[in-house]
Amino acid sequence: MNRTQAHRQHPPNAKSTHETMVDGHVTITELEKVYESGDERTTAIEDFSVTVPSGEFLGVVGPSGCGKSTLLYLVAGFLEQTTGTIAVDGDPIDGPGTDRGVVFQDYALFPWRTVMGNVTYGLEEKGVGKEERRATAQRFIDMMDLDGFEDKYPKELSGGMKQRVALARTLAYDPKILLMDEPFGALDQPLRESLQDHLIDIWRDLEKTVIFITHDVEEAVYLSERVLIMTRHPGTKKTTVGIDLDRTQPREELVLSDEYTATKNDVWQSLREETTPGGER
Amino acid sequence: MDVTRTVGLDRNDAIAAAKSIYSLVLLLLLWEFVAQYDMVHSYFLPPLSDVLATFYELTADGTMLEHAYLTFRRAMAGLLLACLLGIVVGVLAARNRIVGWFWDPIIEVGYPVPVIALVPVFMFWFGTGDLPKIMLVAVGCFWPVAINARNATREVDENLVWSARMMGTSDRRLLRRVVVPAAAPGIISGVQIALPIALIVTFVFEMVAGGGGLGHLEIQGVRSFESAQVYASLIAIMIVGFTLDRGLRYLRGRLLAWT
Ligand SMILES: Nc1ncnc2c1ncn2[C@@H]1O[C@H](COP(=O)(O)OP(=O)(O)OP(=O)(O)O)[C@@H](O)[C@H]1O
Ligand SMILES: [Mg+2]
Repeated sequence: MNRTQAHRQHPPNAKSTHETMVDGHVTITELEKVYESGDERTTAIEDFSVTVPSGEFLGVVGPSGCGKSTLLYLVAGFLEQTTGTIAVDGDPIDGPGTDRGVVFQDYALFPWRTVMGNVTYGLEEKGVGKEERRATAQRFIDMMDLDGFEDKYPKELSGGMKQRVALARTLAYDPKILLMDEPFGALDQPLRESLQDHLIDIWRDLEKTVIFITHDVEEAVYLSERVLIMTRHPGTKKTTVGIDLDRTQPREELVLSDEYTATKNDVWQSLREETTPGGER
Repeated sequence: MDVTRTVGLDRNDAIAAAKSIYSLVLLLLLWEFVAQYDMVHSYFLPPLSDVLATFYELTADGTMLEHAYLTFRRAMAGLLLACLLGIVVGVLAARNRIVGWFWDPIIEVGYPVPVIALVPVFMFWFGTGDLPKIMLVAVGCFWPVAINARNATREVDENLVWSARMMGTSDRRLLRRVVVPAAAPGIISGVQIALPIALIVTFVFEMVAGGGGLGHLEIQGVRSFESAQVYASLIAIMIVGFTLDRGLRYLRGRLLAWT
Protein backbone atom coordinates (compact mmCIF):
# COMPACT_ATOMS: atom_id res chain seq x y z
CA MET A 1 0.00 0.00 0.00
CA ASN A 2 2.73 2.45 0.95
CA ARG A 3 4.56 1.74 -2.22
CA THR A 4 1.45 2.49 -4.25
CA GLN A 5 0.84 5.75 -2.47
CA ALA A 6 4.41 6.81 -3.04
CA HIS A 7 3.98 6.24 -6.74
CA ARG A 8 0.73 8.04 -6.82
CA GLN A 9 2.39 11.20 -5.59
CA HIS A 10 4.55 11.30 -8.72
CA PRO A 11 2.38 9.73 -11.35
CA PRO A 12 3.92 9.38 -14.77
CA ASN A 13 1.47 10.94 -17.12
CA ALA A 14 -0.13 7.91 -18.62
CA LYS A 15 -1.06 9.53 -21.92
CA SER A 16 2.43 10.73 -22.72
CA THR A 17 3.87 7.33 -21.82
CA HIS A 18 1.73 5.80 -24.54
CA GLU A 19 3.11 8.11 -27.18
CA THR A 20 6.75 7.55 -26.32
CA MET A 21 6.34 3.79 -26.43
CA VAL A 22 6.52 2.16 -29.78
CA ASP A 23 5.54 -1.42 -29.14
CA GLY A 24 2.92 -3.50 -27.42
CA HIS A 25 -0.20 -2.26 -29.13
CA VAL A 26 -2.96 -4.65 -30.05
CA THR A 27 -5.35 -4.19 -32.96
CA ILE A 28 -8.39 -6.42 -33.19
CA THR A 29 -10.41 -6.17 -36.38
CA GLU A 30 -13.82 -7.72 -37.09
CA LEU A 31 -13.08 -10.69 -34.91
CA GLU A 32 -15.43 -13.64 -34.91
CA LYS A 33 -15.11 -16.91 -33.05
CA VAL A 34 -17.46 -19.83 -33.59
CA TYR A 35 -16.98 -22.94 -31.50
CA GLU A 36 -17.82 -26.11 -33.35
CA SER A 37 -18.36 -29.38 -31.54
CA GLY A 38 -20.01 -32.05 -33.64
CA ASP A 39 -22.69 -30.27 -35.60
CA GLU A 40 -23.31 -27.73 -32.86
CA ARG A 41 -22.05 -24.21 -33.53
CA THR A 42 -21.73 -21.60 -30.80
CA THR A 43 -20.85 -18.07 -31.77
CA ALA A 44 -18.85 -16.78 -28.81
CA ILE A 45 -17.50 -13.52 -30.30
CA GLU A 46 -18.80 -11.60 -33.28
CA ASP A 47 -18.10 -8.30 -34.99
CA PHE A 48 -15.52 -7.29 -32.44
CA SER A 49 -13.01 -4.53 -33.12
CA VAL A 50 -10.86 -2.55 -30.74
CA THR A 51 -7.42 -0.97 -30.66
CA VAL A 52 -5.40 -1.08 -27.47
CA PRO A 53 -2.54 1.44 -27.62
CA SER A 54 0.89 0.63 -26.17
CA GLY A 55 0.97 0.92 -22.43
CA GLU A 56 -2.78 1.15 -21.97
CA PHE A 57 -4.53 -0.57 -19.10
CA LEU A 58 -7.79 -1.80 -20.61
CA GLY A 59 -10.39 -3.37 -18.37
CA VAL A 60 -12.97 -5.68 -19.95
CA VAL A 61 -16.28 -6.38 -18.27
CA GLY A 62 -19.29 -8.28 -19.52
CA PRO A 63 -21.96 -10.69 -18.38
CA SER A 64 -21.02 -14.27 -17.62
CA GLY A 65 -20.67 -16.39 -20.73
CA CYS A 66 -20.39 -13.41 -23.08
CA GLY A 67 -17.02 -14.51 -24.40
CA LYS A 68 -14.44 -12.65 -22.29
CA SER A 69 -12.19 -15.66 -21.78
CA THR A 70 -12.59 -16.58 -25.42
CA LEU A 71 -11.47 -13.08 -26.40
CA LEU A 72 -8.41 -13.27 -24.18
CA TYR A 73 -7.38 -16.72 -25.38
CA LEU A 74 -7.74 -15.57 -28.97
CA VAL A 75 -5.40 -12.66 -28.31
CA ALA A 76 -3.04 -15.04 -26.50
CA GLY A 77 -3.01 -17.26 -29.58
CA PHE A 78 -4.31 -20.31 -27.75
CA LEU A 79 -7.47 -20.39 -29.86
CA GLU A 80 -7.85 -19.66 -33.53
CA GLN A 81 -10.41 -17.12 -34.69
CA THR A 82 -13.02 -17.99 -37.27
CA THR A 83 -12.63 -14.70 -39.12
CA GLY A 84 -10.99 -11.34 -38.48
CA THR A 85 -7.48 -10.43 -37.45
CA ILE A 86 -5.55 -9.82 -34.28
CA ALA A 87 -2.32 -7.91 -34.71
CA VAL A 88 0.40 -7.00 -32.26
CA ASP A 89 2.38 -3.97 -33.38
CA GLY A 90 0.85 -4.36 -36.81
CA ASP A 91 1.80 -8.02 -37.33
CA PRO A 92 -1.01 -10.57 -37.29
CA ILE A 93 -0.36 -13.10 -34.53
CA ASP A 94 0.37 -16.71 -35.30
CA GLY A 95 -0.18 -18.79 -32.17
CA PRO A 96 1.18 -18.01 -28.72
CA GLY A 97 4.27 -15.84 -28.45
CA THR A 98 6.54 -14.47 -25.77
CA ASP A 99 5.35 -10.93 -26.56
CA ARG A 100 2.14 -11.80 -24.74
CA GLY A 101 1.87 -13.20 -21.23
CA VAL A 102 -1.29 -14.66 -19.77
CA VAL A 103 -2.14 -14.76 -16.09
CA PHE A 104 -4.73 -17.50 -15.64
CA GLN A 105 -7.57 -17.40 -13.18
CA ASP A 106 -6.55 -20.81 -11.81
CA TYR A 107 -2.82 -19.88 -11.79
CA ALA A 108 -1.70 -22.80 -14.03
CA LEU A 109 1.60 -23.10 -12.16
CA PHE A 110 3.81 -26.09 -12.91
CA PRO A 111 3.24 -28.22 -9.80
CA TRP A 112 6.51 -30.15 -10.23
CA ARG A 113 8.56 -26.96 -10.12
CA THR A 114 9.33 -24.86 -7.08
CA VAL A 115 8.45 -21.18 -6.90
CA MET A 116 11.93 -20.39 -8.23
CA GLY A 117 11.59 -23.06 -10.91
CA ASN A 118 8.27 -21.65 -12.06
CA VAL A 119 9.54 -18.09 -12.24
CA THR A 120 12.72 -19.05 -14.12
CA TYR A 121 10.88 -21.23 -16.66
CA GLY A 122 10.34 -18.54 -19.28
CA LEU A 123 13.94 -17.38 -18.91
CA GLU A 124 15.20 -20.94 -19.42
CA GLU A 125 13.21 -21.14 -22.64
CA LYS A 126 14.78 -17.85 -23.73
CA GLY A 127 18.24 -19.32 -23.16
CA VAL A 128 19.20 -16.92 -20.36
CA GLY A 129 22.19 -18.17 -18.32
CA LYS A 130 21.69 -19.68 -14.92
CA GLU A 131 23.09 -16.84 -12.81
CA GLU A 132 21.13 -14.18 -14.62
CA ARG A 133 18.01 -16.31 -14.57
CA ARG A 134 18.09 -16.63 -10.83
CA ALA A 135 18.86 -12.96 -10.31
CA THR A 136 15.98 -11.85 -12.51
CA ALA A 137 13.58 -14.34 -10.97
CA GLN A 138 14.62 -13.25 -7.48
CA ARG A 139 13.79 -9.65 -8.35
CA PHE A 140 10.20 -10.60 -9.23
CA ILE A 141 9.89 -12.98 -6.31
CA ASP A 142 10.90 -10.15 -3.99
CA MET A 143 8.57 -7.74 -5.78
CA MET A 144 5.70 -10.11 -5.02
CA ASP A 145 6.75 -10.44 -1.37
CA LEU A 146 7.52 -14.10 -1.87
CA ASP A 147 11.09 -14.10 -0.61
CA GLY A 148 11.68 -17.09 1.63
CA PHE A 149 9.34 -19.26 -0.43
CA GLU A 150 11.69 -19.84 -3.39
CA ASP A 151 12.04 -23.57 -2.71
CA LYS A 152 8.39 -24.31 -1.96
CA TYR A 153 6.20 -26.24 -4.34
CA PRO A 154 2.86 -24.75 -5.46
CA LYS A 155 0.90 -27.22 -3.29
CA GLU A 156 2.54 -25.64 -0.25
CA LEU A 157 1.22 -22.15 -1.07
CA SER A 158 -2.06 -20.37 -0.42
CA GLY A 159 -4.25 -19.20 -3.30
CA GLY A 160 -3.04 -15.63 -3.02
CA MET A 161 0.59 -16.73 -3.01
CA LYS A 162 0.03 -18.92 -6.04
CA GLN A 163 -1.48 -16.00 -7.89
CA ARG A 164 1.55 -13.88 -7.01
CA VAL A 165 3.87 -16.62 -8.26
CA ALA A 166 1.84 -16.77 -11.47
CA LEU A 167 2.22 -13.01 -11.86
CA ALA A 168 5.96 -13.19 -11.14
CA ARG A 169 6.36 -16.05 -13.61
CA THR A 170 4.67 -14.09 -16.37
CA LEU A 171 6.49 -10.84 -15.61
CA ALA A 172 9.90 -12.51 -15.41
CA TYR A 173 10.14 -13.31 -19.11
CA ASP A 174 9.09 -9.76 -19.86
CA PRO A 175 6.16 -9.91 -22.29
CA LYS A 176 5.09 -6.53 -23.58
CA ILE A 177 1.44 -7.36 -23.18
CA LEU A 178 -0.21 -8.80 -20.08
CA LEU A 179 -3.45 -10.69 -20.61
CA MET A 180 -5.25 -11.34 -17.37
CA ASP A 181 -8.40 -13.46 -17.01
CA GLU A 182 -10.12 -12.60 -13.73
CA PRO A 183 -6.82 -13.19 -11.95
CA PHE A 184 -8.01 -12.01 -8.55
CA GLY A 185 -11.52 -13.46 -8.75
CA ALA A 186 -10.93 -16.22 -6.23
CA LEU A 187 -9.19 -14.08 -3.60
CA ASP A 188 -10.58 -12.35 -0.55
CA GLN A 189 -11.03 -8.59 -0.48
CA PRO A 190 -7.86 -7.44 1.35
CA LEU A 191 -5.64 -9.69 -0.72
CA ARG A 192 -7.36 -8.65 -3.92
CA GLU A 193 -6.87 -4.97 -3.10
CA SER A 194 -3.24 -5.45 -2.26
CA LEU A 195 -2.61 -7.32 -5.50
CA GLN A 196 -4.51 -4.68 -7.46
CA ASP A 197 -2.19 -2.02 -6.06
CA HIS A 198 0.80 -4.22 -6.82
CA LEU A 199 -0.40 -4.55 -10.37
CA ILE A 200 -0.78 -0.80 -10.83
CA ASP A 201 2.81 -0.33 -9.64
CA ILE A 202 4.07 -2.97 -12.01
CA TRP A 203 2.11 -1.61 -14.93
CA ARG A 204 3.59 1.85 -14.34
CA ASP A 205 7.15 0.74 -13.62
CA LEU A 206 7.45 -1.84 -16.36
CA GLU A 207 5.31 -0.02 -18.95
CA LYS A 208 3.17 -2.96 -19.98
CA THR A 209 0.04 -3.01 -22.07
CA VAL A 210 -2.60 -4.73 -19.96
CA ILE A 211 -5.88 -6.33 -20.96
CA PHE A 212 -7.61 -7.17 -17.72
CA ILE A 213 -10.79 -9.21 -17.64
CA THR A 214 -13.03 -9.03 -14.63
CA HIS A 215 -16.68 -9.29 -13.76
CA ASP A 216 -16.16 -6.80 -10.94
CA VAL A 217 -17.06 -3.26 -12.02
CA GLU A 218 -15.25 -1.63 -9.11
CA GLU A 219 -12.08 -3.53 -9.93
CA ALA A 220 -12.30 -2.53 -13.58
CA VAL A 221 -12.84 1.15 -12.79
CA TYR A 222 -10.19 1.24 -10.07
CA LEU A 223 -7.48 -0.32 -12.23
CA SER A 224 -8.17 0.72 -15.79
CA GLU A 225 -7.60 3.74 -17.94
CA ARG A 226 -10.44 2.59 -20.12
CA VAL A 227 -13.14 -0.01 -19.58
CA LEU A 228 -14.61 -2.04 -22.44
CA ILE A 229 -18.12 -3.31 -21.85
CA MET A 230 -19.21 -6.37 -23.79
CA THR A 231 -22.76 -7.26 -24.76
CA ARG A 232 -24.20 -10.50 -23.58
CA HIS A 233 -23.73 -13.67 -25.60
CA PRO A 234 -22.64 -13.63 -28.41
CA GLY A 235 -20.14 -11.07 -27.26
CA THR A 236 -19.43 -7.89 -29.15
CA LYS A 237 -18.02 -4.59 -27.99
CA LYS A 238 -20.85 -2.54 -26.56
CA THR A 239 -18.92 0.58 -25.67
CA THR A 240 -15.78 1.78 -24.00
CA VAL A 241 -15.68 4.19 -21.10
CA GLY A 242 -12.60 6.30 -20.44
CA ILE A 243 -11.67 6.48 -16.77
CA ASP A 244 -10.36 9.84 -15.78
CA LEU A 245 -9.53 9.82 -12.12
CA ASP A 246 -7.13 11.86 -10.04
CA ARG A 247 -4.80 9.02 -9.16
CA THR A 248 -2.57 11.09 -6.90
CA GLN A 249 -4.92 10.38 -4.01
CA PRO A 250 -4.62 7.21 -1.92
CA ARG A 251 -7.08 4.41 -2.51
CA GLU A 252 -9.33 5.19 0.44
CA GLU A 253 -9.90 8.74 -0.82
CA LEU A 254 -10.11 7.77 -4.47
CA VAL A 255 -12.92 5.29 -3.93
CA LEU A 256 -14.95 7.96 -2.12
CA SER A 257 -14.46 10.63 -4.77
CA ASP A 258 -17.39 11.81 -6.88
CA GLU A 259 -15.65 11.02 -10.20
CA TYR A 260 -15.02 7.46 -9.11
CA THR A 261 -18.60 6.94 -8.00
CA ALA A 262 -19.99 8.52 -11.15
CA THR A 263 -17.77 6.49 -13.50
CA LYS A 264 -18.50 3.31 -11.63
CA ASN A 265 -22.20 4.03 -11.98
CA ASP A 266 -21.89 4.58 -15.73
CA VAL A 267 -20.15 1.28 -16.24
CA TRP A 268 -22.51 -0.49 -13.90
CA GLN A 269 -25.59 0.90 -15.70
CA SER A 270 -24.22 -0.12 -19.04
CA LEU A 271 -23.38 -3.61 -17.84
CA ARG A 272 -26.73 -3.97 -16.13
CA GLU A 273 -28.56 -3.44 -19.38
CA GLU A 274 -26.80 -6.56 -20.61
CA THR A 275 -27.46 -8.71 -17.59
CA THR A 276 -31.12 -7.87 -17.06
CA PRO A 277 -33.34 -10.16 -19.10
CA GLY A 278 -35.23 -8.13 -21.66
CA GLY A 279 -32.89 -5.17 -21.14
CA GLU A 280 -32.09 -2.92 -24.10
CA ARG A 281 -29.30 -3.92 -26.42
CA MET B 1 17.70 -32.41 21.67
CA ASP B 2 17.27 -33.33 18.08
CA VAL B 3 18.81 -36.72 18.81
CA THR B 4 16.31 -37.60 21.53
CA ARG B 5 13.50 -36.56 19.26
CA THR B 6 14.76 -38.76 16.46
CA VAL B 7 15.23 -41.71 18.80
CA GLY B 8 11.76 -41.18 20.25
CA LEU B 9 10.28 -41.06 16.79
CA ASP B 10 12.09 -44.21 15.75
CA ARG B 11 10.71 -46.09 18.70
CA ASN B 12 7.20 -44.92 17.99
CA ASP B 13 7.66 -45.93 14.39
CA ALA B 14 8.83 -49.38 15.43
CA ILE B 15 5.85 -49.83 17.71
CA ALA B 16 3.52 -48.61 15.00
CA ALA B 17 5.09 -51.01 12.51
CA ALA B 18 4.75 -53.93 14.94
CA LYS B 19 1.12 -53.02 15.55
CA SER B 20 0.41 -52.88 11.85
CA ILE B 21 1.50 -56.52 11.38
CA TYR B 22 -0.30 -57.98 14.41
CA SER B 23 -2.81 -59.68 12.18
CA LEU B 24 -0.04 -61.21 10.10
CA VAL B 25 1.72 -62.62 13.18
CA LEU B 26 -1.60 -63.99 14.39
CA LEU B 27 -2.17 -65.84 11.12
CA LEU B 28 1.34 -67.30 11.16
CA LEU B 29 0.84 -68.50 14.73
CA LEU B 30 -2.44 -70.06 13.71
CA TRP B 31 -0.63 -71.84 10.86
CA GLU B 32 1.97 -73.26 13.26
CA PHE B 33 -0.72 -74.30 15.73
CA VAL B 34 -2.96 -76.00 13.16
CA ALA B 35 -0.01 -77.88 11.67
CA GLN B 36 1.59 -78.87 14.99
CA TYR B 37 -1.65 -80.41 16.21
CA ASP B 38 -2.12 -82.27 12.92
CA MET B 39 -5.44 -80.63 12.19
CA VAL B 40 -4.30 -80.64 8.57
CA HIS B 41 -2.08 -83.36 7.17
CA SER B 42 1.53 -82.17 7.27
CA TYR B 43 1.99 -83.03 3.63
CA PHE B 44 -0.52 -80.33 2.72
CA LEU B 45 0.52 -77.90 5.40
CA PRO B 46 3.84 -78.53 7.10
CA PRO B 47 4.41 -76.53 10.30
CA LEU B 48 5.72 -73.03 9.75
CA SER B 49 8.85 -73.96 11.71
CA ASP B 50 9.65 -76.73 9.22
CA VAL B 51 9.10 -74.37 6.32
CA LEU B 52 11.39 -71.79 7.89
CA ALA B 53 14.03 -74.44 8.50
CA THR B 54 13.88 -75.48 4.83
CA PHE B 55 13.95 -71.84 3.83
CA TYR B 56 17.09 -71.39 5.92
CA GLU B 57 18.79 -74.46 4.44
CA LEU B 58 18.04 -73.43 0.89
CA THR B 59 19.25 -69.92 1.62
CA ALA B 60 22.41 -71.08 3.38
CA ASP B 61 23.53 -73.25 0.45
CA GLY B 62 22.80 -70.48 -2.05
CA THR B 63 20.00 -72.27 -3.89
CA MET B 64 17.33 -69.78 -2.89
CA LEU B 65 19.35 -66.73 -3.89
CA GLU B 66 20.21 -68.23 -7.23
CA HIS B 67 16.56 -68.91 -8.05
CA ALA B 68 15.36 -65.63 -6.62
CA TYR B 69 17.89 -63.80 -8.75
CA LEU B 70 16.64 -65.56 -11.92
CA THR B 71 13.06 -64.63 -11.17
CA PHE B 72 14.02 -61.07 -10.23
CA ARG B 73 16.09 -60.61 -13.38
CA ARG B 74 13.37 -61.87 -15.73
CA ALA B 75 10.62 -59.86 -14.08
CA MET B 76 12.67 -56.66 -14.04
CA ALA B 77 13.93 -57.00 -17.61
CA GLY B 78 10.39 -57.52 -18.87
CA LEU B 79 8.97 -54.71 -16.76
CA LEU B 80 11.68 -52.31 -17.91
CA LEU B 81 11.02 -53.14 -21.53
CA ALA B 82 7.28 -52.66 -20.98
CA CYS B 83 7.92 -49.28 -19.33
CA LEU B 84 10.05 -48.01 -22.20
CA LEU B 85 7.53 -49.03 -24.85
CA GLY B 86 4.36 -48.44 -22.81
CA ILE B 87 5.23 -44.91 -21.73
CA VAL B 88 6.21 -43.85 -25.24
CA VAL B 89 3.11 -45.42 -26.81
CA GLY B 90 0.75 -44.16 -24.08
CA VAL B 91 1.99 -40.57 -24.11
CA LEU B 92 2.06 -40.35 -27.88
CA ALA B 93 -1.36 -41.99 -28.26
CA ALA B 94 -2.78 -39.17 -26.14
CA ARG B 95 -0.92 -36.34 -27.87
CA ASN B 96 -0.78 -37.45 -31.50
CA ARG B 97 -3.88 -38.16 -33.54
CA ILE B 98 -2.30 -40.76 -35.80
CA VAL B 99 -0.59 -42.68 -33.01
CA GLY B 100 -3.86 -42.55 -31.07
CA TRP B 101 -5.85 -43.77 -34.04
CA PHE B 102 -3.52 -46.76 -34.39
CA TRP B 103 -2.98 -47.70 -30.75
CA ASP B 104 -6.23 -46.83 -28.95
CA PRO B 105 -8.19 -49.86 -30.21
CA ILE B 106 -5.20 -52.16 -29.70
CA ILE B 107 -4.82 -50.99 -26.10
CA GLU B 108 -8.54 -51.41 -25.42
CA VAL B 109 -8.51 -54.97 -26.72
CA GLY B 110 -5.12 -55.96 -25.34
CA TYR B 111 -5.61 -54.68 -21.80
CA PRO B 112 -8.14 -57.28 -20.59
CA VAL B 113 -6.47 -60.30 -22.28
CA PRO B 114 -5.27 -62.75 -19.57
CA VAL B 115 -1.66 -62.82 -20.64
CA ILE B 116 -1.02 -66.15 -18.89
CA ALA B 117 -3.02 -67.77 -21.70
CA LEU B 118 -0.11 -66.91 -23.97
CA VAL B 119 2.46 -68.99 -22.04
CA PRO B 120 1.99 -72.07 -24.23
CA VAL B 121 2.01 -69.94 -27.38
CA PHE B 122 5.29 -68.29 -26.39
CA MET B 123 6.81 -71.68 -25.56
CA PHE B 124 5.67 -72.92 -28.92
CA TRP B 125 7.31 -70.00 -30.70
CA PHE B 126 10.36 -69.16 -28.62
CA GLY B 127 11.09 -72.21 -26.46
CA THR B 128 11.61 -72.25 -22.71
CA GLY B 129 14.66 -70.02 -22.15
CA ASP B 130 14.93 -66.50 -20.73
CA LEU B 131 13.79 -64.78 -23.92
CA PRO B 132 10.16 -65.97 -24.04
CA LYS B 133 9.76 -65.29 -20.32
CA ILE B 134 11.08 -61.75 -20.54
CA MET B 135 9.02 -61.10 -23.65
CA LEU B 136 5.79 -62.33 -22.12
CA VAL B 137 6.41 -60.25 -18.99
CA ALA B 138 6.89 -57.26 -21.27
CA VAL B 139 3.64 -58.03 -23.10
CA GLY B 140 1.71 -58.41 -19.85
CA CYS B 141 3.09 -55.23 -18.31
CA PHE B 142 2.79 -53.14 -21.47
CA TRP B 143 -0.99 -52.72 -21.22
CA PRO B 144 -1.34 -51.23 -17.76
CA VAL B 145 1.71 -49.02 -18.33
CA ALA B 146 0.46 -47.80 -21.71
CA ILE B 147 -3.16 -47.29 -20.66
CA ASN B 148 -2.20 -45.37 -17.53
CA ALA B 149 0.34 -43.25 -19.40
CA ARG B 150 -2.26 -42.47 -22.04
CA ASN B 151 -4.99 -41.54 -19.57
CA ALA B 152 -2.65 -39.45 -17.43
CA THR B 153 -1.45 -37.61 -20.52
CA ARG B 154 -4.99 -36.95 -21.68
CA GLU B 155 -5.79 -35.42 -18.33
CA VAL B 156 -2.89 -32.97 -18.33
CA ASP B 157 -4.37 -29.52 -17.73
CA GLU B 158 -4.46 -27.67 -21.05
CA ASN B 159 -3.60 -24.45 -19.21
CA LEU B 160 -0.20 -25.90 -18.33
CA VAL B 161 0.49 -26.64 -21.97
CA TRP B 162 -0.63 -23.14 -22.91
CA SER B 163 1.51 -21.63 -20.17
CA ALA B 164 4.56 -23.34 -21.55
CA ARG B 165 3.78 -22.38 -25.12
CA MET B 166 3.34 -18.71 -24.25
CA MET B 167 6.73 -18.79 -22.52
CA GLY B 168 8.35 -20.05 -25.69
CA THR B 169 8.39 -23.85 -25.41
CA SER B 170 8.36 -25.35 -28.90
CA ASP B 171 5.94 -28.13 -29.79
CA ARG B 172 8.82 -30.54 -29.98
CA ARG B 173 10.06 -29.81 -26.46
CA LEU B 174 6.58 -29.66 -24.98
CA LEU B 175 6.44 -33.39 -24.22
CA ARG B 176 9.64 -33.45 -22.24
CA ARG B 177 9.23 -30.09 -20.55
CA VAL B 178 5.58 -30.21 -19.53
CA VAL B 179 3.47 -33.16 -20.64
CA VAL B 180 5.56 -35.98 -19.18
CA PRO B 181 6.31 -34.24 -15.86
CA ALA B 182 2.62 -33.32 -15.48
CA ALA B 183 1.54 -36.89 -16.28
CA ALA B 184 4.26 -38.50 -14.14
CA PRO B 185 2.03 -39.45 -11.18
CA GLY B 186 -0.32 -41.41 -13.45
CA ILE B 187 2.55 -42.93 -15.41
CA ILE B 188 4.21 -44.18 -12.24
CA SER B 189 0.88 -45.60 -11.00
CA GLY B 190 0.81 -47.68 -14.17
CA VAL B 191 4.27 -49.06 -13.41
CA GLN B 192 3.14 -49.91 -9.88
CA ILE B 193 0.14 -51.79 -11.25
CA ALA B 194 2.40 -53.65 -13.70
CA LEU B 195 4.84 -54.86 -11.02
CA PRO B 196 2.72 -57.73 -9.63
CA ILE B 197 1.82 -58.71 -13.20
CA ALA B 198 5.55 -59.02 -13.98
CA LEU B 199 5.98 -61.33 -10.99
CA ILE B 200 2.91 -63.44 -11.78
CA VAL B 201 3.89 -63.96 -15.40
CA THR B 202 7.50 -64.84 -14.52
CA PHE B 203 6.42 -67.21 -11.77
CA VAL B 204 3.83 -69.04 -13.86
CA PHE B 205 6.12 -69.30 -16.86
CA GLU B 206 8.85 -70.79 -14.63
CA MET B 207 6.39 -73.32 -13.21
CA VAL B 208 5.32 -74.41 -16.66
CA ALA B 209 8.59 -74.19 -18.59
CA GLY B 210 11.25 -74.64 -15.91
CA GLY B 211 14.70 -73.18 -16.45
CA GLY B 212 15.22 -72.23 -12.80
CA GLY B 213 13.62 -69.45 -10.80
CA LEU B 214 11.30 -69.50 -7.80
CA GLY B 215 8.37 -70.81 -9.84
CA HIS B 216 10.49 -73.74 -10.94
CA LEU B 217 11.69 -74.34 -7.38
CA GLU B 218 8.12 -74.47 -6.12
CA ILE B 219 6.82 -76.86 -8.76
CA GLN B 220 9.88 -79.04 -8.14
CA GLY B 221 8.82 -79.22 -4.51
CA VAL B 222 5.39 -80.46 -5.56
CA ARG B 223 6.84 -83.06 -7.92
CA SER B 224 9.24 -84.41 -5.31
CA PHE B 225 6.62 -84.32 -2.52
CA GLU B 226 8.73 -81.76 -0.60
CA SER B 227 5.90 -79.59 0.62
CA ALA B 228 8.20 -77.51 2.85
CA GLN B 229 10.09 -76.46 -0.29
CA VAL B 230 6.80 -75.43 -1.91
CA TYR B 231 6.02 -73.08 0.95
CA ALA B 232 9.60 -71.87 1.23
CA SER B 233 9.51 -70.81 -2.44
CA LEU B 234 6.22 -69.09 -1.77
CA ILE B 235 7.76 -67.12 1.08
CA ALA B 236 10.68 -66.19 -1.16
CA ILE B 237 8.46 -64.82 -3.93
CA MET B 238 6.50 -62.88 -1.33
CA ILE B 239 9.69 -61.32 -0.06
CA VAL B 240 10.80 -60.45 -3.59
CA GLY B 241 7.41 -58.92 -4.38
CA PHE B 242 7.23 -56.96 -1.15
CA THR B 243 10.75 -55.59 -1.56
CA LEU B 244 10.15 -54.51 -5.14
CA ASP B 245 6.84 -52.87 -4.25
CA ARG B 246 8.49 -50.93 -1.44
CA GLY B 247 11.32 -49.98 -3.75
CA LEU B 248 8.88 -48.57 -6.29
CA ARG B 249 7.02 -46.67 -3.61
CA TYR B 250 10.27 -45.16 -2.42
CA LEU B 251 11.16 -44.18 -5.96
CA ARG B 252 7.74 -42.64 -6.39
CA GLY B 253 8.19 -40.60 -3.25
CA ARG B 254 11.56 -39.36 -4.45
CA LEU B 255 10.41 -38.52 -7.98
CA LEU B 256 7.08 -37.01 -6.96
CA ALA B 257 8.03 -35.02 -3.89
CA TRP B 258 5.92 -32.21 -5.32
CA THR B 259 2.59 -34.07 -5.20
N1 LIG C 1 -14.68 -25.06 -25.87
C1 LIG C 1 -15.89 -24.57 -26.10
N2 LIG C 1 -16.74 -25.20 -26.93
C2 LIG C 1 -17.98 -24.72 -27.20
N3 LIG C 1 -18.45 -23.57 -26.67
C3 LIG C 1 -17.66 -22.89 -25.83
C4 LIG C 1 -16.35 -23.34 -25.49
N4 LIG C 1 -15.79 -22.46 -24.63
C5 LIG C 1 -16.72 -21.50 -24.43
N5 LIG C 1 -17.84 -21.75 -25.15
C6 LIG C 1 -19.05 -20.91 -25.20
O1 LIG C 1 -18.67 -19.62 -25.62
C7 LIG C 1 -19.32 -18.63 -24.86
C8 LIG C 1 -18.32 -17.71 -24.20
O2 LIG C 1 -17.57 -18.42 -23.24
P1 LIG C 1 -16.44 -17.73 -22.38
O3 LIG C 1 -15.84 -18.76 -21.50
O4 LIG C 1 -15.52 -17.00 -23.27
O5 LIG C 1 -17.29 -16.70 -21.52
P2 LIG C 1 -16.82 -15.72 -20.35
O6 LIG C 1 -17.28 -14.37 -20.71
O7 LIG C 1 -15.39 -15.88 -20.07
O8 LIG C 1 -17.69 -16.23 -19.13
P3 LIG C 1 -17.36 -16.14 -17.56
O9 LIG C 1 -17.52 -14.73 -17.16
O10 LIG C 1 -18.42 -17.00 -16.94
O11 LIG C 1 -15.98 -16.67 -17.37
C9 LIG C 1 -20.22 -19.36 -23.88
O12 LIG C 1 -21.52 -19.38 -24.41
C10 LIG C 1 -19.68 -20.75 -23.84
O13 LIG C 1 -20.71 -21.68 -23.64
MG1 LIG D 1 -14.24 -16.64 -18.38
